[in-house]
Amino acid sequence: MVYEKGRRYIIPFDDVPADRAEMPEISVEERKGSFREVETGFPEAVAVAEAKRCLSCRRCLGCALCWAECEPEAIDFSIPDEELELDFDEVIITRGQENSFQPIDSHLGYGTYADVITDLQFERMLSPTGPTDGLVVSPFDGEVPRRIAVIQGNAEGDEDHFLSSLVLGVNESILALDRIEDMKVALVSPICQSFKKKFSPDAEKIPDLDIIEGAPESVERTQEEEPLILTYSQDGKIKKENFDLIVILTKPEISAEISALSQELEQEVL
Amino acid sequence: MCTGRLDPAIVAGAFRQGLDGLLTVGCYFGDCHYITGNVQAKAKIDITRKVLKHAGLNEERLAFRQCSSGEASVFVDLVSQFDEKIHSLGPLGGAGDRVKAPEIFKKLETAEAALTSEKIRWVIGKRTPFLETGNIYGEIFTEHEFNRAVEMIIVEETQVQEILGGLKEGARSVKDLAKRLDIPPERVFRYITALQRKNLVALQGVNGRSPVFQLTA
Amino acid sequence: MENKRVLIIGGGLEGVRTAIEKAEAGAQVTLVEKFPTLGAERIPRDRLIKPDNAFINPDLDKVRNLSDVRILTNSEFTKVTREGGKVHASVLKKSLRVDNSKCNDCKACIKVCPVNMFDDFDEGYTWRTAVDYFNPATGEYNIFKEDMPACQSKCPVHLDIRRYVGQIADGKYLESLATIRERLPLPGSIGRICPHPCETACNRQYLDKSISICFLKRYVADVEINEEVEPVYETPEKKHPEKIAVVGAGPAGLTCAYDLAMMGYGQIKIFEALPVPGGYLWVGIPEYRLPKKLLKREVDLIAKMGVEIQYNARIGKDISFEDLINDYDAVFIGAGCHQGLKLRIPGEDEYKGKGIVDCVTFLREQALGKFPEAGGKLIVIGGGNAAIDSARVGWRMGFDEVYILYRRTKKEMPANPWEIDAAEEEGVIIQYLAAPVEILGENERVTGIRCIKMELGEPDASGRRRPAPIEGSEYVIDAETIIPAISQGTDLSFLGEKHDFELSRRNTFQIDVETGATNVPGVFAGGDVVSGPDIAIRAVAAGKRAALGIDKYLRSK
Repeated sequence: MVYEKGRRYIIPFDDVPADRAEMPEISVEERKGSFREVETGFPEAVAVAEAKRCLSCRRCLGCALCWAECEPEAIDFSIPDEELELDFDEVIITRGQENSFQPIDSHLGYGTYADVITDLQFERMLSPTGPTDGLVVSPFDGEVPRRIAVIQGNAEGDEDHFLSSLVLGVNESILALDRIEDMKVALVSPICQSFKKKFSPDAEKIPDLDIIEGAPESVERTQEEEPLILTYSQDGKIKKENFDLIVILTKPEISAEISALSQELEQEVL
Repeated sequence: MCTGRLDPAIVAGAFRQGLDGLLTVGCYFGDCHYITGNVQAKAKIDITRKVLKHAGLNEERLAFRQCSSGEASVFVDLVSQFDEKIHSLGPLGGAGDRVKAPEIFKKLETAEAALTSEKIRWVIGKRTPFLETGNIYGEIFTEHEFNRAVEMIIVEETQVQEILGGLKEGARSVKDLAKRLDIPPERVFRYITALQRKNLVALQGVNGRSPVFQLTA
Repeated sequence: MENKRVLIIGGGLEGVRTAIEKAEAGAQVTLVEKFPTLGAERIPRDRLIKPDNAFINPDLDKVRNLSDVRILTNSEFTKVTREGGKVHASVLKKSLRVDNSKCNDCKACIKVCPVNMFDDFDEGYTWRTAVDYFNPATGEYNIFKEDMPACQSKCPVHLDIRRYVGQIADGKYLESLATIRERLPLPGSIGRICPHPCETACNRQYLDKSISICFLKRYVADVEINEEVEPVYETPEKKHPEKIAVVGAGPAGLTCAYDLAMMGYGQIKIFEALPVPGGYLWVGIPEYRLPKKLLKREVDLIAKMGVEIQYNARIGKDISFEDLINDYDAVFIGAGCHQGLKLRIPGEDEYKGKGIVDCVTFLREQALGKFPEAGGKLIVIGGGNAAIDSARVGWRMGFDEVYILYRRTKKEMPANPWEIDAAEEEGVIIQYLAAPVEILGENERVTGIRCIKMELGEPDASGRRRPAPIEGSEYVIDAETIIPAISQGTDLSFLGEKHDFELSRRNTFQIDVETGATNVPGVFAGGDVVSGPDIAIRAVAAGKRAALGIDKYLRSK
């Protein structure tokens, strides 16, 4: 399931999948020379069935069970929003906490397989305050991976993008290798000149990290419970390898809200 | 006793102990001495039926019908019809049910645990206010929306109870739990991390490549 | 001298660091973050790390204890303005619904919360509950309640979709229609023609396919007609005394009038240049997509609220714009975009009216029953909905062959994909990657069009690949009638030669985005006359915005 900010996780129900209702239409012969309405409308049963497909999305239900359970009476639904009018002499715009990134090529399996994650998710997984207390596991089956691939998610990018994403990829690999014994990491990405100059000599010395100058093509799982298969090209040749966890290097973007503010204030984001 | 006092957990418990069918007969809507007792009864039975259906029970084993205390013959008809129905379904966990014995009894144990849980009991009780006066924010639900919300909670809560039940037998890995309970492992992983967050489950250790989880004391 | 006041937007690592720096240098800092707590530790992206010293930690304890730093989390900017060196910000600090000073972190609430959602703090690979702490390092609890579901927030008029669809599921069709009418007076019309942005936001698409929201709206509108129910719109008994004029009975003007009538304005008059209501809905959307009878009924219901509609009243001709401003306390302009733009190629002016007719005129004349005869070959030029409509209308009128020329491919075509498919089903021939070069004719009549084949090059500013002509690939198609349908513009001649309105380069009104007010006091505008050609539901939204703006303006006078 594709992750989007602020979304409820939707459990697949008994009625999934259910066909979307098709609008009945008059035939092409009936339309010729006539201005009769083409779409004839749903019959009642179809309309009701279609309406019943609605998931009625809602996050907090407002059931107030938390309020009933809270002994120190900290939960208070009557706390109002506050509207503040503020004046400043100087503004500094930073990216804030929302980590936006450019869409990832759908061939790379992000959103399809639970064990294809972003570098941002991996960063949280590695963090001591993360949900697994820093334990590296595959969200697909909860097992500790043996082979991890860190792959470039955006082949089009400038030198800066490649440099910072490669450094992050190497750093995450260093951490993962430190945490897990008997593991190997492959980093597959086009390598930019500035990385080669500044970091390659040190990065290549890291044991069990294999830096492959190539381009990831696709990620797939052909059989349930089998590892993921990464297809990539290197020196004009297509190669395939199995991995237990795939980490995609993302291309950061400034979130919509921050960039709107930056435009409004005519000021760059730090 | 008013049908509105019926406890869903007791209903599930009765089936767990081998009951083949349960017919609840309440007063007609509008005739309730306590005003809405029968409406609540129907709502409770509906939700209980959903939970039991989820556990693999044929939903026709639990019914809600209405008649007044003066209608002896109607009552007799209701009972004989229901009796006939249950006879045709056969014993619990047989051909009439999706899940067979003895697995169904284990599933019913989970259903009982889910129906005992605070979450489902609380939400069942919210039906009337949600549909008529609104939730804590004053938002009124349609019936469809309320049913959707309840369904979602039933599915999730049942699976959570299954996982907790599995861990009660001993520490297990995500993969192991997923296989035993027939829940997709990626979802078990999410349930487990969520339970960790709630301090209900903790990592016991890593066995080879498998992190193993246990219930917290 | 007072301390310098510094605003820091964004409470991530960088924002926290800067806040501490500035506060230590003596400034008064306000730190504003959208999420409910401040940022987490990060892995560096500019140097290689050692495993035991991998993360950079924001100094959260320090920043929270500095008396010169005010932290506003869970906060959004509703407006920011810069004047000279000074910045003014309106900030909405949304309630966490938890008093964290009382919370003892016992987790009782998250144990019982029945709602699992993606945890944004962990980039969504695990769950949080609706009541939960956000950042484990700071443990500030909050209750996540969205303002509205995804479909509703994507809808320009924010229809309560969850409710009206739920009511259909419950079998309460007329209640559902009433829910829609709380915000939209044209459910039957919009339910037929809306390109439904709501459906692109629907969460069901991640499981199978989105809900057919738009057609469900149409369904309940049809139920009312089929069951012959006459709805009554209740307006307040006590009326405001002010007179309001509305220019144009299109979706923007009708909605503005409807909302104002609902607010208790008793003297509203709509001036419509055409003999029919609905604006583009009547003269631009063909009968086979939106039956006139149905549109008429929805307009009649609005008129029954006491809104007067004067037809054949063209401002600037039948009534002067100045009179309007003098006679009325407020004016709303929803005049639309009823002028077809030109191709700007040779022969176009020469054969105008002699086989060349722009799409707006063509569709209007047909809708009003004025278009003379059909026959021979028809060529429509363009790729928008107006082009498809013109072609499908032409095919119905009896043109022998109908072509559409479009200079890019089907993928780039701005028309609704389902309309393109329907046109092709009906036998309309679409030539992609073809552009007109010259209109040909003889004896005062169009005889054909010279075209050139195109190829797609690099993406342009709109992200679509820019078409370029292939040299030497010109060809001629014979045709009796040619319809340019490339875009539409406004006709503001009704304002007279001298006026004080601020207009955009595209000859549309400049308005205040919150109230719809133009720079002339008491005059408001909305719909296509502001946005350029756009979808009907956004014109409805503009009419609603202006109604609120007008009410605010009149009540503060």
